[in-house]
Amino acid sequence: MEIIITKENSVVTAALVGRLDTPASLEVAGQFESLKAEASGTIVLDCASLEYISSSGLRLFLSLRKAAGEKGGKVIVKDISTSIRSVFMMTGFLNLFEIQ
Amino acid sequence: MSIQTLDSHSEELLQQYRNLLPVYTQMAEVIPQRLKGFFEEAGLIVAALEHRVKTEGSLAGKLRLKGSKYQSIYDITDLVGIRVITFYIDDVDKVASVLERLFEIDWDNSIDKRKAHEIDSFGYLSLHYICRVPESAYFDPEHPELNKIRFEVQMRTLLQHAWANMNHDTGYKSGVEIPKVYVRHMSRIAGMLELCDDEFSRIRRELAEYRRRVQKLVASGNLSDVALDGDSFRSYLAIKPFERLTRRIASINQAEVQEVDMSAFLPLFQAMRFTTLGDIDKLIKDYSDAAYQIACFQIGLTDLDILSSSVAPQNLCTAFILKNGGGRIGLKLMLDQLNGESEGNGYMADFLVEQCKDLPFMNQ
Repeated sequence: MEIIITKENSVVTAALVGRLDTPASLEVAGQFESLKAEASGTIVLDCASLEYISSSGLRLFLSLRKAAGEKGGKVIVKDISTSIRSVFMMTGFLNLFEIQ
Repeated sequence: MSIQTLDSHSEELLQQYRNLLPVYTQMAEVIPQRLKGFFEEAGLIVAALEHRVKTEGSLAGKLRLKGSKYQSIYDITDLVGIRVITFYIDDVDKVASVLERLFEIDWDNSIDKRKAHEIDSFGYLSLHYICRVPESAYFDPEHPELNKIRFEVQMRTLLQHAWANMNHDTGYKSGVEIPKVYVRHMSRIAGMLELCDDEFSRIRRELAEYRRRVQKLVASGNLSDVALDGDSFRSYLAIKPFERLTRRIASINQAEVQEVDMSAFLPLFQAMRFTTLGDIDKLIKDYSDAAYQIACFQIGLTDLDILSSSVAPQNLCTAFILKNGGGRIGLKLMLDQLNGESEGNGYMADFLVEQCKDLPFMNQ
């Protein structure tokens, strides 16, 4: 699992590559923590190359959303595959994020 | 006219004013700040809190006209002025009661201009209190004079404030008598604004009464008597109508439930032609098993152990739409309503139709 973080103007984009399962979630938790520092602006989670998401991954997304909510920022989830979109729908997460 | 034309008594008063100016300035800044806190505690929302210290020029003008009326500077009660502007006319009296609790009120010099009008006249309406900070509330040994200084608090509504300002601009205090026809026009507007103030307060009272009635009906379970709207839906959500189903769904994978705002479901229920809370209650009674079957199929074979509390109403609506012939189009509209319009919702609608077609509830 790899996360490539880039910043352009006030928008931070985190491109998620690979499978965000439980071990990978532990691995990238630190990077999500550092993303929270940017939570007062817009954070785009680019999921074009995200192959799988587990509950642990959903928790990471949720914690970022909470931080953005507290700081007045927003989290946009971009380019999710149909299978990940279905996970979001089945868990009721679909309407928690702005999906693009 | 210049300040130099003042008599010696007025000059002395002016000098006292200059000496006390730092205290006046401090009072004009600190008192409104303290008031703001007390209004918040009392649940009062005010439109504005203004303050000013009378300028030396304005005081000189006043002294020139009636300087002999005052023995000392402490006899002048409007050197520090505070204005509280409320949205509602009922709140003027609430503001007054806060002031009565906080300050000593000089009743002899306070004026209720709302009562000053004849029954057939309309015009300036405002409540003016002359106040003093009691030593019991605040005492600074370095500035004992602070407790001697009286200050004026004007209380009025936003509409009364607008009228007073407009009237001021059109002639009041301008020294030039304006034609009677304009005075009459201003009186007509004053009458109309008085009516508007009363109406705003009436609407607020009736709305509060409506909310109380809805809460009572919701609590008593007479949900079919309660029209579905923003207020009633909020009251309904307070009794957590979907909680039982949510817990049942969460038990499938021993999932953690994230409580989320459900207000997005109101327009969906309205689009489903639900008109009372009873319709939602019936949805829960009639479709909970179907919603549970959908959840079992979707997450039963996964290790997903985190859910949002919106899963329960989402699955209820899915089951209702499919059982009532809404099909893919109905589900796409539901997802568009909940998640915003997108092409992806079409894929999810197909996915749901496919998942649900063989579930027991579809064949009952």
